[in-house]
Amino acid sequence: MIAEPQTVSDPILEVRNLSKRFGGLWALRDVSFSVSEGQIVGVIGQNGAGKTTLINVITGHLRPTSGQVLIGGQDVTGQHPWVIAHDRVARTFQIVKPFRGVTVRENVAIGAMHGNAHDRTVRDALATADELLALVGIEKHAHDAPSQLSVADARRLELAKALASRPKLLFLDEVMAGLRSQEIATAVELIHRLRDSGITIVAVEHVMKAIVSISDLILVLHHGSTLAMGPPAEILSDERVIEVYLGHRYRKTS
Amino acid sequence: MSSRGPQSVSSSTDALAAILQGRQRTGREVVVDWVRSRTLANSWPALAGVAVIALLLGLQQLIEPGTMRLLSAVFMFVALAQAWNIIGGYTGYASFGQVVFFGLGAYVTAVLMNNYHVSFWVAMPAAILGGVLFAVLIGVPLLRLRGHYFAIATLGAAEGAREVINNMTPVTGGGLGITIPTFGDQAPTAYFGKPGFYVAFLVLAAASVAISTLLARSRFGYAMVAVHEDEAAASAVGINTTVVKVVAFGVSGAIVACAGAFYAFQQIEFYPTDVFDPSFTVLMVIMVVIGGSGSVVGPLVGAVGLELLSQFLRVNLGTYNQLIFGAIIVVVVVFFPQGVVNFFRDAWMARRFSLLDNIRRYRL
Repeated sequence: MIAEPQTVSDPILEVRNLSKRFGGLWALRDVSFSVSEGQIVGVIGQNGAGKTTLINVITGHLRPTSGQVLIGGQDVTGQHPWVIAHDRVARTFQIVKPFRGVTVRENVAIGAMHGNAHDRTVRDALATADELLALVGIEKHAHDAPSQLSVADARRLELAKALASRPKLLFLDEVMAGLRSQEIATAVELIHRLRDSGITIVAVEHVMKAIVSISDLILVLHHGSTLAMGPPAEILSDERVIEVYLGHRYRKTS
Repeated sequence: MSSRGPQSVSSSTDALAAILQGRQRTGREVVVDWVRSRTLANSWPALAGVAVIALLLGLQQLIEPGTMRLLSAVFMFVALAQAWNIIGGYTGYASFGQVVFFGLGAYVTAVLMNNYHVSFWVAMPAAILGGVLFAVLIGVPLLRLRGHYFAIATLGAAEGAREVINNMTPVTGGGLGITIPTFGDQAPTAYFGKPGFYVAFLVLAAASVAISTLLARSRFGYAMVAVHEDEAAASAVGINTTVVKVVAFGVSGAIVACAGAFYAFQQIEFYPTDVFDPSFTVLMVIMVVIGGSGSVVGPLVGAVGLELLSQFLRVNLGTYNQLIFGAIIVVVVVFFPQGVVNFFRDAWMARRFSLLDNIRRYRL
């Protein structure tokens, strides 16, 4: 009995009825979805729709008000971020969070020397860092301070740091925000390469064109609730999505 | 819609896959590699350190007891400054109650030696253990606080601990002080004398510098820096920030408690107000900040420079020495807000030696 890998693989991430309340505001309300291994899932929504909160709750930076998060079939709801990171889950931060006191190279090495599949020595971690800096294209800044990087390069550093912990599941929080179209094309190509190397990706994005071209599935959040979820083509033609998020411009072009 | 295709499976994907696979080197390979990597060029700081220690041991034969006592104090402050730098500099948790470990170390040693006639060589490790246990006990709740709140909480812990010792009169002698027996058959360990304490504090200072250096270059050292810079980002790459903070606090507390143990034995007789004196904490902070926090050399320079300066002023200026000492500290902090060592390192790298530029760069 040999079936298609896509259909038999268990979900690497399963989110069940996830809710998060800040005081009187529901940042997330009853969100459920699952991600299979090897998929790229895009998450879109307006400002304040709950996209970053969703990542924060899944990766343990916030505790959910209710609901469950399962990674690889294991319940990790409310665990510390480092416990979830040890399940080979990595993330980038929308507001980049470099370690300012050390060089760009050491920033990435810190990711490579901790976590589940870490390098045993600082020297190995620095070698891994050099390889990753070359991969994301900022190797010439290896010995600079992170504060000297441009916006685009700072986002590349953020990605290299996340990859250094050798994730199987990677959350990208607006890695393409503020990039020029040529830079977006490079980023899209890189995300494909990451997936081809076996990383499952959940990408929160504002850049509509990019997310449509890379995602297998798109989750649309609206005021913290799931508005729609499906393949890009289905989402682009969904009346509710067009109404609240895309507007009439996209109805014409798609 | 999908742009996936065979063209994206390239050699660079294999390179990426290799990175993600990780380097599974055995412990033996790591050790062999490290030994092979040792050369004269990268071992000179260690060799220089050994040379300095040998020199200071030789110097002991030439100097008079008064100078020996002064240098013993310098060595002790080197150890205290290195210890404070581990939690306050590298990890970024400025403790204003680090003297609590000094006082506990002193009292554990004195109580064991006086009440139970235990050898100093048993009492001193017990003091270190006590420092570590107390660091874990107060570290777990207090290290959840940041910035000013952590500073105030540690200050309170130190003041509270002093009052507890002060009121445990049957055990500690309370406010009347405690005396370590040092004469004849009463002495559990023969008194070291000035030359003995000179060597003891020199070894303590050397050990603290060695511990700091090894920590700074290790994975744990980078974890401390990551916690200092951004705890959310640190935890996201798998660093258990609670463990890192508590261990850093524990290592710092162990060194300070060890210094307290030697200090107690050196003083023979002391009171709670002596060994829980907040000015010990203040001196640790000032030495690290003026020397340059977050490096090994900074606290070393700060401790040696400030302790020698303070002793020089006390001998030569009489009544006004504290005033002048304070004024010098203010001036140095204004001109070198990032610490003397950090200023010269950055200035050397950028070839910019202007002090006015430096003040402008760091003004609030």
